[in-house]
Amino acid sequence: MRNIKRKLLSLVFLMLVSPLLRAQDFKLPVDVEKLSSTAKETVEVNMDGPMLRWASKFLSAEDADEQKAAKLVANLKSIYVRSFEFDKEDSYSSADVEALRSQFHTPVWSRVVGVRSERDGENVDVYFKLENEKMAGIVIIAAERKELTFVNIVGPIEVDQLADLGGEFGIPRLKTKPSSSNPVAKVEKGDHK
Amino acid sequence: MNPPNQDMNRFDELLKTVLRRAEPPSGFAERVLARVEQRPTAIPREERVPWFHIFTVPFIRWAAFATVSASLIVGTVHYRNVRRERAEGEAAKKQLMLALHIAGSKLQLAKSKVVEIQVSRPNGEAEKNRSRSKS
Amino acid sequence: MAERRSGTEQRKSTGIGFADIVREHQSMVFSIAQHFLADRPAAEELAQDVFLQLHENLPTLKSAEHVKFWLRKVTAHRCIDYQRRRRVPQISLEDAPEPAMPTHSGDPFLEKRVRRFVATLPEKPRMVMVLRYQEDMSPEEIAEALTMPLATVKSHLQRSLAMLREKMTRTIGEVVI
Repeated sequence: MRNIKRKLLSLVFLMLVSPLLRAQDFKLPVDVEKLSSTAKETVEVNMDGPMLRWASKFLSAEDADEQKAAKLVANLKSIYVRSFEFDKEDSYSSADVEALRSQFHTPVWSRVVGVRSERDGENVDVYFKLENEKMAGIVIIAAERKELTFVNIVGPIEVDQLADLGGEFGIPRLKTKPSSSNPVAKVEKGDHK
Repeated sequence: MNPPNQDMNRFDELLKTVLRRAEPPSGFAERVLARVEQRPTAIPREERVPWFHIFTVPFIRWAAFATVSASLIVGTVHYRNVRRERAEGEAAKKQLMLALHIAGSKLQLAKSKVVEIQVSRPNGEAEKNRSRSKS
Repeated sequence: MAERRSGTEQRKSTGIGFADIVREHQSMVFSIAQHFLADRPAAEELAQDVFLQLHENLPTLKSAEHVKFWLRKVTAHRCIDYQRRRRVPQISLEDAPEPAMPTHSGDPFLEKRVRRFVATLPEKPRMVMVLRYQEDMSPEEIAEALTMPLATVKSHLQRSLAMLREKMTRTIGEVVI
């Protein structure tokens, strides 16, 4: 009886969530969703096209960041973010991360960045989706020691808009030369978090 | 000498005689009436009806009350709706900015990692690593 | 905005009654002004103004007694205002010149002298005297008409009478009526 109840509840949950998921390019693994119960802080953002358009009405024309955001969001179809921050390390498994990554190992998606850093435990994957040689979506999976972040932005993002996205919102622009001559990261084969 | 009271009474009488009513000049009343006729036809003050006396009519009074009440209710509801929509819009905006901030920061993280690797390695190895990372 | 009616309608509603009121009280109003101002032409003009003002305010007056009281009050106040606007130098009773020919018997000349002495009284005591002796109003009624404390009215009466009597006695000796 309990099992039936659980299955029914899961079915109901899926029915409710599926419309949103259909708009996404992926399915967030259940185990990853469960991480919110153990995370110190969880950020969830689900915004489809109409919601993005409506929210952008309230962006201030006098704020430079909000102005840029308004331009960026104008043609997007959706923004999906899950970010989990933990008190301690090893709060999620590599299997959870791989379950996310594996969804984008398809011809539709191209991995443009895949960085593994043993030193500071920061691993980042960036996937682009191209349609008719134009950007149609981006996925970012950042697996850090105490933080796991998944971002999916669907829509025709221009490369220059992507560059603005990287250099704005209070994040300082990249330095062209490192502060130290020592190697700080290396690409490793095999699985890392 | 007369007693004081008697003197006073007689003095009173003298004053009454001196200050008795006198007839006005002849035709006084006619002249007054003529001046009244010549004046603009202004309504005596108490007969003028101030505009707001229309509200003494019960129907008008109730209609005015109903109108004002309805306007207040509609206005209040509208104001609350506008305020709620504004609050919801601001909340959505904050969510949007947060999402873009997170995406931007993680993208920046990725870019910083790539640059670090490129700078730390000789050109050849950096090219190899880039091609590996794209696979 | 005040509504305005035609002159014909106005005359129909107030014309007849008003004329009667004028004829009934013209003597009272004119005499108050005359005794106070000691100026006949000015008294007539002032009296006419009082009745014109009455015509405007007639609907507010509820009874004949109210009309009479209103006329006395307005006439008194207009007289005092008129006197003040004229800025006629006030001669105190003490400074009033003595009559040139003293007389020992009551006669029109005596009356004239008394009238003259009344005219030298300050405005308010003078009006108190006029209302008291012309209209036979009680001190309470005078206080109400002139918007004055009763004690002040009585004080004016007593002082004015005393001064007048002293003046008359000095001037003509013992007053024999």
